[in-house]
Amino acid sequence: MKTPKAHAARSLVEEKRALPFLLPSLAVLCFISLYPLIQGITRVVYSYRALTRKTVYTGFENFILLFRDPVFLRALGNSLVWTVTSVAVMFLLSYILATMLNSRYLRFRRFFRSATLIPWALPGVVVSLIWRYIFLADGPLNAALAGLGVTSPPSWLTDTNLALWTCIVANSWMGLPFVTIMILAGLQSLEGEILEAAAIDGANYFQSQVRVVLPSMKKVILIVLTLETIWTFNSFDIVFVLTKGGPGSASMTLPLYAYQNAFMYYQAGYGAAIGIIILLILLSVVVLYIREVLR
Amino acid sequence: MRMSRTKQVFLHVAVVLMLLALVFPILILLFNSVKTESEIFASPGAPPRAITWDNFRAVLVESTFFTHLKNSVIVAFSTVLLAVIVTAPAGYALSRFKFRGRTAFSMWLLATQAFPGIIMVLGLFTVLNVYGLINRLPGLVVMHTSFALPFSIWLLKGYFDKIPVDLEEAARIDGCSRLRALVKIILPLSVPGLLAVATFSLLLSWNEFFFALVVMRTNASWTLPVYLARFQGSGGVVEWGPLSAAALLVTIPVFLLFLVGQRYLVSGLTGGAIK
Repeated sequence: MKTPKAHAARSLVEEKRALPFLLPSLAVLCFISLYPLIQGITRVVYSYRALTRKTVYTGFENFILLFRDPVFLRALGNSLVWTVTSVAVMFLLSYILATMLNSRYLRFRRFFRSATLIPWALPGVVVSLIWRYIFLADGPLNAALAGLGVTSPPSWLTDTNLALWTCIVANSWMGLPFVTIMILAGLQSLEGEILEAAAIDGANYFQSQVRVVLPSMKKVILIVLTLETIWTFNSFDIVFVLTKGGPGSASMTLPLYAYQNAFMYYQAGYGAAIGIIILLILLSVVVLYIREVLR
Repeated sequence: MRMSRTKQVFLHVAVVLMLLALVFPILILLFNSVKTESEIFASPGAPPRAITWDNFRAVLVESTFFTHLKNSVIVAFSTVLLAVIVTAPAGYALSRFKFRGRTAFSMWLLATQAFPGIIMVLGLFTVLNVYGLINRLPGLVVMHTSFALPFSIWLLKGYFDKIPVDLEEAARIDGCSRLRALVKIILPLSVPGLLAVATFSLLLSWNEFFFALVVMRTNASWTLPVYLARFQGSGGVVEWGPLSAAALLVTIPVFLLFLVGQRYLVSGLTGGAIK
């Protein structure tokens, strides 16, 4: 019979066995991840004073300034729009593409699946440069629009109302392969019987997707949505290369604004304050995910 | 359920259209790299009428391309090596031991994905400064390794789970230590998993921009993505021809490796994340 004490002793053995194997990872996680995180967070209580050229302790000043800063509020709103729209577009298009790639009536399936992955291998900076060229006022998109008879096509990158959406298009394009491949794997793991049973019960295509396919892929969908939300929110390359947050602050996102403050305006403390807001938002996403998974 | 002929045709048309949308932007890059600057804006997006290699020549001869290429190669391959060495034992521990705190460890790995770049870079800047690693490649290598860590550990755990425990237990009865069993028995059976980790960390490191931008501050220490983002023609304006040639040169090596490694990466990611 197992006494509680014996049980505790046994599991301590497991920990002693596991520790040496975990040590290298724990070392990296502590020194390159946890310590810099704490170190970075503590920067928020300091501010650089240009007048005296000194960094002084200013307590919560950076947070207070934050909520009076119209650019920050704009960037916060933009970041939410940027993330929600990008992830929604990626998910919807990927779901359609994955369903088609999963169809047994599709020929050359292997070829098509591999081709889907191509954008995945491109560096973010290269993707951003390509889309910057495509969206130039005298670039290929507007040339095509002119060919279709559009008389005054918009200047995508410098129009206040369009700049953010232009960035969203580029970002969705870049994220599509990863989401598609994950959803495709989810679809492949479903058993055909589930769908056929639904069909026999008289469910039409749309019903069977919503009632049967989506719920049975809950795990994949949750992890993909969580990761893609985090990555998109933290994304920097595309907005940096496409618009630098402009015109004005029309396409400013939080990571870019934090970077500009910390590394162009010498306000590391203010950058850290923006970073803490990002951290709080994203940790709540992670907590939501964990609660859903553990439920 | 059978699909009607028209629906089948429609399916193929739709797939081809979506793939065109995924591939066309890359074609544009390809076209621009062999067009003259005037043709790039005379017929934007169209295939080149005549092919010129001047753009490639400009990048390879006149710029510091090879300095940045060397930096990127060193950083990416060191990251791959370090990532495999660090994550293989951790994946093994998660797969084989029922230690307390393994859920917490997994959650921590997930949480690291949510850490904002700006906070990390401010903190890492201080750390690297202490050890004199600003502008130095090793600083970037350890950063990239830490980013590659969570996914690599998940990937390998998923892979090790599929290898029967009996194999190593037989070896351990013969007096083999756990570490030897991992190195001699498990790892040789996990080559596809290790290739998945290698492909993943290679892509991550080769393409990483933000941290390289902030930490590599001198021209000579730039990696390729930083070089591309700062690319300027002779007059200070962007010259799309040479820039496209440079972007292509940056993409091709890792793209070829990706073609080889993608099936391991895909089966690793999808196998590990679903079960």
